[in-house]
Amino acid sequence: MDKPVKQQGPIRFEAVIPMLIVVGVIVLYFSLFFDTHLRRSIEYAAGQANGAEVNIGRLNTSVFDASVLIADVQMTNPAQPERNRLQVGEIRFRMLWDALLRGKVMIEEAAIEDVQVDTPRQRAGYVLPPEPEQEDGPSATDRMLAQMKEEFSGNVVGDLAAIAAGTSASEQIKVAGEDLKSSAYLDGIQKSLDETEQQWRERMDALPKGEDFKALRDRLAKVQLKDFKDAAQLQASVKELQSIRDEFDAKSRPVGEAGTKLTGDMGALRGSLGDLDKVVRDDVRGLQARMHLPSLDTATLSRALFGMDVLGQLQQARGYMNQARQYIPARSAGNKAKPAASKSRKGRDYAFGKPKGYPAFWLRRALLTSRLSGERGLSGEIRDVATDQQLVGRPLVATLKGDFPQQGVTGVKAELVVDHRTAEPAERLNLEVGRYAVAGRSLVNSENVTLGFAKATASSGFVAELRGEKVDMRLSNRFNDTAFETGSKTAVVREMMAASVAGLNTVSLDARVSGSWSDLEWKLSTNLAEALAKGMGRYLQAKMDEARKRIENLVNDRIGGQKQRLLARQGELEARYKSQLAERKAQLDKLRAELDGARSELDQRKNAAVDAEKQKLKQEAGKLLDKWRK
Amino acid sequence: MTLLLKQLFALVRLLNSDTGTNQIAAGVACGLILGFAPMLSLQALLVFVCMFLFRIQIGAALTSAFFFALVAWLFDPVSHLVGSAILEAESLQPLFTTLYNMPLVPLTRFYNSVVMGAGAISILLALPVFFASKRLIVAYRVKVVARFRSSPFWKLWSGTTFFKWYATYDKLHG
Repeated sequence: MDKPVKQQGPIRFEAVIPMLIVVGVIVLYFSLFFDTHLRRSIEYAAGQANGAEVNIGRLNTSVFDASVLIADVQMTNPAQPERNRLQVGEIRFRMLWDALLRGKVMIEEAAIEDVQVDTPRQRAGYVLPPEPEQEDGPSATDRMLAQMKEEFSGNVVGDLAAIAAGTSASEQIKVAGEDLKSSAYLDGIQKSLDETEQQWRERMDALPKGEDFKALRDRLAKVQLKDFKDAAQLQASVKELQSIRDEFDAKSRPVGEAGTKLTGDMGALRGSLGDLDKVVRDDVRGLQARMHLPSLDTATLSRALFGMDVLGQLQQARGYMNQARQYIPARSAGNKAKPAASKSRKGRDYAFGKPKGYPAFWLRRALLTSRLSGERGLSGEIRDVATDQQLVGRPLVATLKGDFPQQGVTGVKAELVVDHRTAEPAERLNLEVGRYAVAGRSLVNSENVTLGFAKATASSGFVAELRGEKVDMRLSNRFNDTAFETGSKTAVVREMMAASVAGLNTVSLDARVSGSWSDLEWKLSTNLAEALAKGMGRYLQAKMDEARKRIENLVNDRIGGQKQRLLARQGELEARYKSQLAERKAQLDKLRAELDGARSELDQRKNAAVDAEKQKLKQEAGKLLDKWRK
Repeated sequence: MTLLLKQLFALVRLLNSDTGTNQIAAGVACGLILGFAPMLSLQALLVFVCMFLFRIQIGAALTSAFFFALVAWLFDPVSHLVGSAILEAESLQPLFTTLYNMPLVPLTRFYNSVVMGAGAISILLALPVFFASKRLIVAYRVKVVARFRSSPFWKLWSGTTFFKWYATYDKLHG
């Protein structure tokens, strides 16, 4: 088996040919397959970022001039997979080899041509499943947005139509079995009352009783108040009286304090019972919601009609904001580059940029054009898309102006500024659409009623300013020349809806969402809600009032007995302990009077004795003086 | 795949012969660097070129690269800590800034904490691993191969016609 191994030098000359073969295979791969694989990779990565399928028709790369051509890009709209969110005819750019050799991508100028939005797809695009919840549960913002979604998707108008259609709201109301807040609240008061009674029983037992007062009175009776033989006797009586007084004060103090405490405790109980009305109102509101007894106020109707639209735009803005903050990280508090957040297994990337250096990615300028139908079209510019804005020294600015004639959208003006140069990242989007056609847009779609725009021409203004955790989003839409389409199984609802929107040629929607992401303040107003509230109110107000009254009565019936019992018990407790305290106080007052009387008498005796002594001394002094004079 | 198998058989044969100790040990050391480096990086390419150009046992390098890649994966958190410490060292900042902005060097991804940590560990361990491998190979040949060849099984097997035929074939074409 042993075979002598030939003595060979350290360099493997025979490997030259295999290495050339390997190089040849690599060149062959880049010539034949690289473009396809790169296209697939970009499609996959873009699909992940978009949340739905992204298709690239053609991709050509050239190694020598480091250029890339991407043609026929279609980004599926995740909300409408049969349509594209964005379609781009061609993207051309050339990278700098100087940057590529440094592992960076630097594009001086790119051309993006034939940009279109909302175009139909040949086949529906694949939509990615929603991302699983984070391990530590949804964030406060996610919870709040989910709550808003639930509220906005509640079919208020449909519920109103159901009532108009003849469903008696009051028939559905059954309080039995419902967990009422007011019932729990009364249970709480009951418990508190039990505890208060127990405390008072113990406190009253600890207060001085009749025998304590009797003992003091007996001691007082033994104090000598007259016929003193000498000053020492008088002094002893004064001392004993003071001792009795001190003991009396010590015993009477808790009685006085108990009086104040009783007033406070009973006041608190009365206050709790008084607050019951507020809890009952909450219960009534809760039951109204659970029994789908909607409110006819314009704020609720505005939210029901357009809340989901505004929420959708807010969520979209948040999604883009998160992506921008992920790929263009803001500076940390110090002036040092923040390492890109990544999984621990992949480590952290540190940036050691220097002035005039390249960031990992930098697109200096991209020109957008779209000239699909003659003179009308779209033009725009994107400047400074860079992964390190501090290094570049400029924010990302994108502007867009023009029309999308194929979609009937004109007067588009948009400006996006992404400024992550400081520790507090800021994004601002200003979008205006002069005119776009609306057709067959549903606003309410329930079993009982449908309402929507059959057609309208709309204009829209959208401003979103995001700074750190703060949000300020304003939306102003105008729907002109509106034609509504309403539908219902019942004639009365059809009549009601038609009457409500009759003569409403222009619908306005003004919305503002502001605050921090975890605590947003929503303001929505639309004249369509006012018209519906007014129109439906004529048909429904009486029924609604009756139903609400009935709910109130049912709640009151459910808790009325318990409330009365508690009120009576609280009154009885207050009266009982007030009376007991008054009795103790009367005994104390009587004893105090006796002590004061004894003290007064002693003082008189003491003063008389002192005066007599003074007189006696005076006389003796006079006698002595007379004696000396003689 | 044929090339790979050929290299693996060559490794077994070389291990069981009395020569090629340095080649195998160098292969193991190269495998260590290769296993600790990211697959698509400049340093991995350099190691591959060295493996092809110099007489380094490729089979040993690939086998140990596979083994060390597993070790490196387990040590990723340690590499991350080591790499972070190196990359954050104040005195090295000017050097890293220069390297970061030089052509080609960023392709090593040295600015990544895990890559830097794993790279530093592998370079530090390369020489000890080379010498340790040499010792282990010698010990293997003495304690395992020699003992196996003196076993009755080997004597029986080496006496078969098939083995003799294979030995002749190997001498002529191997």
